[in-house]
Amino acid sequence: MTDPRNDVVGVGLLAEGMHDPGSPPAGIRRVPSGVDGLTTEHLIVNMGPQHPSTHGVLRVLVELDGEEIVSSEISLGYLHRGIEKLAEHRRFNALGTLMDRGDYVSGIHGETAVALAVERLMEIEVPRRAQWIRCMMAELNRIASHLVWFGTFGLDTGGMGQFLYAMRDREAILDVLEAVSGGRMMFNYVRPGGVVADLPAGIDLKVEAFLDAFEIYLEEHDALLGGNEIFQSRVKGVGIIDAEKALAFGLTGANLRASGVDYDVRKNRPYDAYPELEFSVPLGAGGDAWDRYAVRMEEMRQSARMVRQCLDGLPEGEHTAKVPKVLRPPAGEVYAAVESSRGETGIHLVTDGGDMPYRMHYRAPSLFALQALEDVIPGTLLADAVAIIGSTDVMLGETDR
Amino acid sequence: MRPDATELKTLLAAGGVKAEPEDVLLGAVARVRPREVIDALSSLKSAGYESLVDLFGTDTGEAVELTWHVRSYSQDAEVYIKTTVHYDAEIDSVWNVYPSALMPERETAELLGLKLGGHPNPRRLLTSDGVPPLLRRSVPIRTPAEAERR
Repeated sequence: MTDPRNDVVGVGLLAEGMHDPGSPPAGIRRVPSGVDGLTTEHLIVNMGPQHPSTHGVLRVLVELDGEEIVSSEISLGYLHRGIEKLAEHRRFNALGTLMDRGDYVSGIHGETAVALAVERLMEIEVPRRAQWIRCMMAELNRIASHLVWFGTFGLDTGGMGQFLYAMRDREAILDVLEAVSGGRMMFNYVRPGGVVADLPAGIDLKVEAFLDAFEIYLEEHDALLGGNEIFQSRVKGVGIIDAEKALAFGLTGANLRASGVDYDVRKNRPYDAYPELEFSVPLGAGGDAWDRYAVRMEEMRQSARMVRQCLDGLPEGEHTAKVPKVLRPPAGEVYAAVESSRGETGIHLVTDGGDMPYRMHYRAPSLFALQALEDVIPGTLLADAVAIIGSTDVMLGETDR
Repeated sequence: MRPDATELKTLLAAGGVKAEPEDVLLGAVARVRPREVIDALSSLKSAGYESLVDLFGTDTGEAVELTWHVRSYSQDAEVYIKTTVHYDAEIDSVWNVYPSALMPERETAELLGLKLGGHPNPRRLLTSDGVPPLLRRSVPIRTPAEAERR
């Protein structure tokens, strides 16, 4: 019996130059003129959706000539939950819960994007203390997210040692985030107007203890993986995305900065307390997988630096502005973006004056990283493709929404 | 955020597109006719707007409004192009101008029930065949049977 899904997926890859219309997406394609004019065969391999290096449910169809990838196609939708549609049936306070389930490794950033959009529409002034708490939570969350990427990127490239160390450090952050928000991944902490609750007593000691340890551990991590010659040879010069291509495909975040484009939402379109915080934006030069690695490692250092500043300079005051229980922003359209762990997470909010959004569009940075991959992967080796996918840190929860 | 509506008008006029942009909360927004979208985006691209940040569609209840969000990293500026098309319209792909439109276009066409022309791979992106265009206002989030059960 044939799988009806085969009629839908993989057609694009197979359609061009196909000689055997009956073959399934994964299989052998005869190529009439190969080396020396002899008939050769291309193998079409179905990588994913249950492949350990696809970080969730990414499916990549690759056509192989030996070890080399001739063409690739990315197939999405395995995590589609209709977040944008559901948002049209949620009150504005509840939109954060949907964003948590979009990019589920850095939920604070998505929540902040929605909150900023609503605040801009309603012209809510957020208290300074709430802004600083948001920044601290966002940077802690960024470290946690980058640690997941660091651990799994190592696994993709053959390093087994760093994964559990990364998870150990992430655990300490999740403890802090849980103590503050009550959730380890689904925080629902940032609300329009501020944050849902003030920091609990004694949290500063917990964060400080984490930072003291983490700043040492991070250098160990970097030495363990980044100092490894085998890892370096796996990622240096692999998956080059130059600045022109990065801009053309709409990359943002660390992927864009690794290509040398100096753009960070926190600096260029500042929000919350970022204008008051001191941090530098690391840039890469060549845009290869190594640059993306180096940029993210430096981002973690900068995030730790910012969390320390937030602890030291946390202003006194209210944790939230006075907002009505049911928010009714005026009719209008607004865009709010934050620098999430994966790039520019943006929320386009269209309102009609009611208590629910008329339309919410979620700009997912990973979607744009993925379409660049379709262009970058062909011409590389299959093993390199795994390293390239890992280096871009895509999150399938937000591409599918 | 630069530029304002008059600057956007000059930029578009250089590409032969007549529009009356306005400054709203979103930024400088130009409404153009559907067949002028590619010209408008091309003239923006040649004016140094390197990147299409995003594109999406909104069901206004009578038609579908499409929005292109274009940004120049070198000039630190961003503008919006909007157009309105009928429900059964075919939208022309702009991937030749901005390759970053490839996947968002597929998603927009699929979720709003539009046809997609001039695209190298115009198939559905997120849902499988038979799923209604979810972002249409007329598509409910529950089936009548599910609504009854609640």
